[in-house]
Amino acid sequence: MKRLFAIASAFGLTIAGAAAAEYPERPIEMIVAYSAGGGTDTAARTLAPFIEKYLGEGATITVVNRPGAGGEVGFTELSRARPDGYTIGFINTPNILSIPIARQTRYSMDSIQAVSNVVDDAGAFNVLPNSPFTTLDELVAYAKENPGSVTYGTSGVGGDDHLAVLQFERLTGISMTHVPFSGAADVRAAVMGGHIAMAGLNISEAASLVNEGELIALGQMGEKRWTGAPDVPTFQEQGYDLVMGSSRGIGAPAGIPKEALNALQEAIAKTVEDPEFLAAAEKQDLPLDFQNAADFQAKLDELDSNLQTLWKEDPWVK
Amino acid sequence: MDVFMNIAQAAPALLDPSVLLAMIVGTAVGIAVGALPGLSATMGIAVLIPLTFTMEPLVALGMIAGIYNGSMYGGSIPAILLRIPGTPAGIATVFDGHEMAKQGKARLALNISLVSSSIGSAVSAVALLLLAPPLAMIALRFGPADYFWLAVFGMTTIAIMLSGNPAKGILSACFGLCLGVVGIDTITGNERFTFGSVEFLSGIHIIVLLTGLYAIPPAIDLMMGRNTIDAGNVDLGEKTANFSWSSLIPTWLRSSAIGLIVGLIPALGGNIAALLAWQEERRYSKNKDNWGKGEPAGLAAPECANNADTAATLIPALTLGIPGNAVAAVILGALLVHGLRPGPDLFRADAEVTYGFMLTMLVTSGMMFVIGKLGARAYVNVLRVPRQILGPIILVLTTVGVYAIHNSIFEVILMLVFGLIGFAMERLSIPTAPAVLAVILGPIAEENLRRALLISGDNITYLVRSPISIILAFLVVIALVSPAWTTWRKNKVNAKA
Repeated sequence: MKRLFAIASAFGLTIAGAAAAEYPERPIEMIVAYSAGGGTDTAARTLAPFIEKYLGEGATITVVNRPGAGGEVGFTELSRARPDGYTIGFINTPNILSIPIARQTRYSMDSIQAVSNVVDDAGAFNVLPNSPFTTLDELVAYAKENPGSVTYGTSGVGGDDHLAVLQFERLTGISMTHVPFSGAADVRAAVMGGHIAMAGLNISEAASLVNEGELIALGQMGEKRWTGAPDVPTFQEQGYDLVMGSSRGIGAPAGIPKEALNALQEAIAKTVEDPEFLAAAEKQDLPLDFQNAADFQAKLDELDSNLQTLWKEDPWVK
Repeated sequence: MDVFMNIAQAAPALLDPSVLLAMIVGTAVGIAVGALPGLSATMGIAVLIPLTFTMEPLVALGMIAGIYNGSMYGGSIPAILLRIPGTPAGIATVFDGHEMAKQGKARLALNISLVSSSIGSAVSAVALLLLAPPLAMIALRFGPADYFWLAVFGMTTIAIMLSGNPAKGILSACFGLCLGVVGIDTITGNERFTFGSVEFLSGIHIIVLLTGLYAIPPAIDLMMGRNTIDAGNVDLGEKTANFSWSSLIPTWLRSSAIGLIVGLIPALGGNIAALLAWQEERRYSKNKDNWGKGEPAGLAAPECANNADTAATLIPALTLGIPGNAVAAVILGALLVHGLRPGPDLFRADAEVTYGFMLTMLVTSGMMFVIGKLGARAYVNVLRVPRQILGPIILVLTTVGVYAIHNSIFEVILMLVFGLIGFAMERLSIPTAPAVLAVILGPIAEENLRRALLISGDNITYLVRSPISIILAFLVVIALVSPAWTTWRKNKVNAKA
């Protein structure tokens, strides 16, 4: 597959050679694998005009929603698009990696090329203020004493929250009971109503309640603290080596012309520095974390191998 | 009172001409979106959100409020005139609304629906304005076991009590339950009945099923020359003068309360509110036999209830960030774009915009009345369109509407297949409403039963531990036993006679 990829990109290069100077010379389609009006869609539509601006004169980006099957429909369409730089898409981790591990899919990661990462929303464990545990150490101690009695809700089987808890359980040797919901809002309602003991939510999804004191975040799984919830310590600070979250970045079909890849990377890099975009991102609680194509690709590969190992030892779909 | 201070401070912003215009446009668009089968408020607002990025917050939110309120009423127009509910919440409107139209009272029916919708919306908006934070706590009280019973209660009611023949009602509900199983199982992540096809992975979309079962059979009927309403009957609207509006006041009060409470509970929403209101009002009615045959209160109840849940679904959304339905979820997205983060702080830090938005919910319910009143004259003309043309128009509109959901041709074909099934069910007089409701409520019941068992470690008594669960379980038993009870009593009376 690697060789195929090399051939494909070489081929792409030769085609691109002729047309490179004017990229983009026609509208670019940006596939969003989730419904219009959702978080990913809103982020995409906020980002698009800025990328247009920095791609230069006359560039237009059309956002196209292809929701369904947890993102598989949109990811498949992205992977099958012509690799000419005129179809790009939003890719969300860990879904884009975990779906092909858990079931037969019509796309594989070999056919998708990372362009740039934009958002990195760390996972977090959240409890009510009256919970018997309010730090990670207390959680581990409590769960060791009462195996299986801690119920935790997540936004879905195989989602980032679920995978984060599974990795935490492996790391600490504890066992808890998973209660899957269909979306972060339901998890929030269940933990606030006291129906489950703990909620796995992304830090941006929990931030406003945590800052209000309605929920306590035991910790978040970013590499560093996030300005939107500065009082929440990271897992690493508390001595648990776990980094997990949901990244949202731009991807393209493997083998797009180098010129297009570079132009897109540069435009996105400039976008995340634009004060107007920064203001919009802050309004929407988007934790930004720009990574260029090489770094983003490396991150995807690392996460992929972690998930492969996890799947072999403790599959999240049984 | 803080609340009134905040309202007084936010109110002047609504007089801005651009905000007023946005509300008028939003309401008109909402009515149109609700009226066209296949299009929904969710889609209308989702498409609109990117356009509002550059607008002032209140202009954008006023337009959204208009769409939301307008679409809930709009759904009743085709339900009454063509027996095609524009949204799942309009199913109960068909029962009596279309019967009234058949009796030549289309204009009166549209008026009742409009007045009831406006009242429901206004009650709901006032509750949102004055009581949002305390009412939001109700939403949190509902745990998995309570959801399970609520969904079972909803299905039992519709299958047994709303159908003339309980056996056929249950049959239809079972069909819906089977369809509801398709897709990825939320609890384990396994695929069920997808036949290896990616198209089935997300399950069967409710709008695909609804338009198939409800829009296609009438279209076929029209094209086969079985139009149920004669164009000549349409003009009888002027006879409405002697209709006693005050007789509907108790109906409005009870139905608004039902819509409000059901709207507060996340995941349920207008669909079930309308049916419960219809069922509940029939219990209070003196002329039960006329229900389903063109009873005005039978139209007022569901229309009032499905609008009373609009602002109510926003209560947990604004205060806790927990949207009650798909529309509220999309509106939350729109709020975020304009820098309004849901949570308790919304009512303090951003009080002016937040209260402004809640006021637009109230103002647009009034605008809906005016626009609806002006429009009613025009809508009725739909019935004047020759049926050979109307049938194909409906087919085209539904195809476009269903295609627009996910840009999927597969779903269009699926919709047409459901259309044929619906046609067959009508011929066999099997009610279609239980099937649609079972697709919505079946997965809610199943997932929450399994969540309850996960939480309790498979302890079945967890299901009747909370007071809400006990009350709901009791209501389910009553719903199951009452038809048998009625028959038994009738036999006894007959025996004595």
